[in-house]
Amino acid sequence: MSAISELSTIHRTKAKTPEEKRLLAKEAGRDNKAGYLFLLPWLIGLVLIIGGPMIASLYLSFTNYSLIQAPEWVGLDNYVRMLSDPRLHKSLAVTFTYVIVGVPLQLIMALAVAMLLNEGMKGLPFYRSVFYLPSMLGSSVAIAVLWRQMFEVDGLVNQVLRKFGIPATTSWIGDPQYALWTIILLHVWTFGSPMVIFLAGLRQIPGMYYEAASVDGASKWAQFRKITLPLLSPIIFFNLVLQIINAFQAFTQAFVVSNGTGGPADSTLFYTLYLYQRGFVQFQMGYASAMAWLLVVIIGVFTAVNFYFSKHWVFYGD
Amino acid sequence: MALNRRQFLVGAGGLAAAATTMGLGACAPGSSGGSGSQGGGGGGGTNLALAFWGNPTRNKNTQAEIDAYMKANPGVTISGQPGEFNTYWDKLATQTAGGNAPDIIQMDMNYISEYGSRGALLDLSKVDVSKFVEGTVDSGKINGKLVGINAGINSAIIFASPKVFEKAKMDLPDDKTWTWDQLIEFSAEVASKAGASFGLASLLQSDALFGTFVRQHGKELFTENGLGFDVAEAQGWYDLMLKGQKAKAFGTPEQASEEQPKPLDQSAIVVGTAAMQAYNTNQLEAVSAAAGQQLKILRGASLAGKATERKTWYKASMLWSASAKTKNPDAAIAWINWFANSPDAANIDLAERGIPPNAEILAEVKPKLSPAQQTVAKYISDIKTEVATTPIAPPPGGGTIATVLFRHGIDVLFGRTSSADGAQKFVDEMKSNLQR
Repeated sequence: MSAISELSTIHRTKAKTPEEKRLLAKEAGRDNKAGYLFLLPWLIGLVLIIGGPMIASLYLSFTNYSLIQAPEWVGLDNYVRMLSDPRLHKSLAVTFTYVIVGVPLQLIMALAVAMLLNEGMKGLPFYRSVFYLPSMLGSSVAIAVLWRQMFEVDGLVNQVLRKFGIPATTSWIGDPQYALWTIILLHVWTFGSPMVIFLAGLRQIPGMYYEAASVDGASKWAQFRKITLPLLSPIIFFNLVLQIINAFQAFTQAFVVSNGTGGPADSTLFYTLYLYQRGFVQFQMGYASAMAWLLVVIIGVFTAVNFYFSKHWVFYGD
Repeated sequence: MALNRRQFLVGAGGLAAAATTMGLGACAPGSSGGSGSQGGGGGGGTNLALAFWGNPTRNKNTQAEIDAYMKANPGVTISGQPGEFNTYWDKLATQTAGGNAPDIIQMDMNYISEYGSRGALLDLSKVDVSKFVEGTVDSGKINGKLVGINAGINSAIIFASPKVFEKAKMDLPDDKTWTWDQLIEFSAEVASKAGASFGLASLLQSDALFGTFVRQHGKELFTENGLGFDVAEAQGWYDLMLKGQKAKAFGTPEQASEEQPKPLDQSAIVVGTAAMQAYNTNQLEAVSAAAGQQLKILRGASLAGKATERKTWYKASMLWSASAKTKNPDAAIAWINWFANSPDAANIDLAERGIPPNAEILAEVKPKLSPAQQTVAKYISDIKTEVATTPIAPPPGGGTIATVLFRHGIDVLFGRTSSADGAQKFVDEMKSNLQR
């Protein structure tokens, strides 16, 4: 009998007397010890690699720290300055646009392709890999460079448009109106990892539900709405939470496409890019740390809101 | 199964949140470099770490210089740490923060006061600069203290592409007398005759040419008290750009905006879409090589139409500095002194880092220079009577000027804001950058 199933048997048998309760607690404690032992490598990493630097960065966020001189305590100064920093507000606007537009589009794309692949076509492993590929490449420098060349005035996109007789002279990457959208497009293109998770989720939905629904005369669309979506909702929720967190941290694409400037005219100034500029270009690590903590709070709030609303639409089978 | 799906998802969410914070915490890369300042290693010798950014040629040259120096000075071990320009500064900042900066540091004008004014750089007054050409030493002074030794003279300039001029059937202009307005007219003419996108590319973001423009108005980019110019000068520059754009001299806003992040080998003058492009003299060789033709050079314009009044200066293409915390200050100074004054170093480096500021050394290596380097060397000596005083190094926060100038300028060119508002925003942002 494995430890887990043993534990669940104990939990199921209700403890009646205080003596039994104590025994049970002891039993559980012993199991926890083993659990913590197994977790130890991860816990050490958490404390040393994540916890320590996080506390340090929390401290630094209350200081004026140039990296070169010792940090100097300034209280809430950095946070107050953030209120009146136009570039910070711009970077928030850019990042929110990216998350709010990019993530849903990417998930819809992922789900659509996953459903297509779930139709039991031949050579599924091949197509799955091909569609997954952009996910691995998407945040790479090479692809960002390629993106820049595709969307410039004489880039591939405009050349193709011209072949069709459309006089395309817009620089999608150079015009502040469009530059962010090319990066959102890049984000949507990297739909591979949520797609693979969707695909796994779709495979878990028993085929008999669909058969029964067909017998009752339900249309494909009704089947999708009444069977696929509810049964897939935990997976959708999972992907949504993860992708939102990921999208808030987007950095590489914007960094490479704009050569680290967030240009043109700050139209691709992602929050993390601005944080980097403050910390490493302007030597304001205190301010950058404060910005990092604001991002933690923003992501925390988004995740909490997600979990709160999940009660209303996420359906757990068990 | 004891874990239901909800619990699993909650756990995964938590994991993801942890991953978030880890990403942020990891902002300071645990740079493993900085092994240099261990000092006094085996055999009682002296160990020095030397960090520099470079290109394949410079990496090879620098290693050859290090080898030559170590051969001449047994007991000294120098380990070279080559890097790439952008990541170089991230690494140097974290190394300095960790107290293990390299002993010898290749420094840039835009960063020298970030380090120098905060006491991170060694006093280099013991280095012999008596043979240096006038105006080439001051670049390395921060608050009156010499913390950087000019490693090569540089000057802001305009490159011209003979191929495009041929196509336009035009001769190069008289760069000793041209005004800014004539520069625009001329650029527009060559662009239209040659069918090129740009008459002149990349002028907007040239902080050095903007610097001459500001100085022609009797102001400075920076003074001891902070920003040395006002909204009026900045607006003057933006108006000039608007005028050039209207005349189809400087390309469309889209093209200007696209051009900015491009690497050297894809720049407009290299791929043939520009007749002229703003650059620094030390890049002539690399850009010519990439373009596959020997590019010509032109002086920047002036308000008065007199080259002698255009207030250009000898810039340091890069400098040598040493860490204030080095365990072997004398050894670090000795190496920098050797680089600045020894023909052995110069014979390897030639003019790769810029024209040697040491007059005797320059005379020695001049015959060995490549055609492009010869052109630059001639130009640098030609303008000897034209250069004005050397401006102070950009104070902390001032190194951002080129990007801020460009960003608000692009807003102006796209018509998203007026030149007056753009100039105001540019000046405000620079002032706030300089505050800390």
